[in-house]
Amino acid sequence: MKYEREIFGLLGFSLILCALYFALIETGPAKYFTAPNAQKLFYFHVPSGLITYLAFLMVVGGSAVFLYNGSEYADQLAKSTTELGIVFGFMSLVSGTFWMKAEWGGDIVSRFLTDMRLATTLAMWLLYIAYFVYRRQPETLQVKKNAAMLGLSGMLMVPLSYLSSRYLRSHHPVIVGTDDQGSLDPSLRIGLYMGLFGFLFIFIFLFKVRMQIESMERDILRSKMEGA
Amino acid sequence: MRLFVIILTILVLSSSASAGCREKECMPEEFVTDVVAGDGDGWYFYYDSVFSIGTNWFIIVESEGTSFEGYISFEFGNNLTKSIDVNFESGTSQKVENGSISFPGSTFSDEEFNRILYINFTEDGGEQTDNFQLKIQINKPPADDMIYLWGGMTVFWASIGAYVLYISSKLTQLRER
Repeated sequence: MKYEREIFGLLGFSLILCALYFALIETGPAKYFTAPNAQKLFYFHVPSGLITYLAFLMVVGGSAVFLYNGSEYADQLAKSTTELGIVFGFMSLVSGTFWMKAEWGGDIVSRFLTDMRLATTLAMWLLYIAYFVYRRQPETLQVKKNAAMLGLSGMLMVPLSYLSSRYLRSHHPVIVGTDDQGSLDPSLRIGLYMGLFGFLFIFIFLFKVRMQIESMERDILRSKMEGA
Repeated sequence: MRLFVIILTILVLSSSASAGCREKECMPEEFVTDVVAGDGDGWYFYYDSVFSIGTNWFIIVESEGTSFEGYISFEFGNNLTKSIDVNFESGTSQKVENGSISFPGSTFSDEEFNRILYINFTEDGGEQTDNFQLKIQINKPPADDMIYLWGGMTVFWASIGAYVLYISSKLTQLRER
C-alpha cells in the first residue's frame, strides 16, 4: 500500500490523543493511590515498557538470524530497532521514575540499586546503549558480528528484566498473568489498550522510516565502494 | 553538638505537628448542648469543621455526668454512620471522657460545603430522644503530585518528538546525497 507507513503514524497519533483525553479528562484522579494524578502515567508508562521489550526482542531475533545466515536485512532490523528500543526504554524508565517518586517517595538512586525490576531494566537499557555506540563506526563484517553477539545477550536481559518483579526482590507491581489482572477496572483497560496500540502503531511507523534510512545509507555506501 | 541540634529540631517539629493529634485541645471547634433525655445533661463535642479529604477526621465526645444510656450515632447520610455506646456499670461514675469516633480520609472524594453531620441520641429501647446537626466543610487539598504527572508526560512527547526530528533530518540529508 502506498501510504501504509503514514496510515500507521496517523492511527497511532490519533489513538494516543484518545488515550490522553481518556486519562486526563474522562477519568478523575485515581482512587486508592497515594499520588492519584501521577497514576495517569500508567496509560503510557506500561505501553512504552512493553514496546521496549518488543524492540529489544527484535534486536535479539535480528542478531540471531544474522549470525546464522549473514542476512543483511536481519542486521539492518537489529540496528534500527535498537534505536527505537532506546527511545521507548528511556520513556519507560524516566516516566516510571517520576511515578515512583510520587507514589513511593524515597531516594531514587537507592531504589534503582535495591529494586531488581528497576536495576535489571536499567541494565538492559544500558546494554543496548552500548550496542548503539558500538555501531557508530565503519561497518565491517567483524563489527556486525560483534554487534550481533552483543545484541544476542538481550536473550538473557529481556526475560530477566520482565520476570524480575515476579521472582526477585521488587516493589514493582505485576499485573499480567496474576490475580490482579482480573481486578483491573474495565475503564482502566480501555485507556491502557488505547495507549498500547497508539504506541505500537507509532513504533511501526518509526520502524519503517528507520529501515528506509538504513537501506538508503547502505545503498549510498555500496555505490561509493563500487565507484572507488 | 550535632546530635543535640538534630534532637532539638525533631522536638521542635514534633511539638508543632498536629496531623495525628486526637486530643480535644487540638480541635478548633467546640459544640455544647443539653440532651433532654438525660435530664438536661451537658454534652461536649470537640471537632474540626473542616474535613480534609485524605486525612482521618475525628470528633471527641464528653459529658461531665449523665443519666443517658444508649448510643450516640454520627451520620453523614448515605449509610456513612458511626456510633458510640453509652452504658455504665453500676457503681461507676457516669462520666464520658475522651469518647471519640473517626471517619477515614477516603470517606469523601469530592469537595462539598455545609455537609450536615447528624448526631442522634438513641436510648437502649430504640427510641430516638434527641438530635443535633453540625455543618462540616469537605475540603479537597490541592494535589501535590501534578508536577510528577507533567514531568512524566513531557518525557513521552519530548522523546518521540526529538526522535522524529532526528530521523527526518537524517532522511532529508540522505535524499540530498
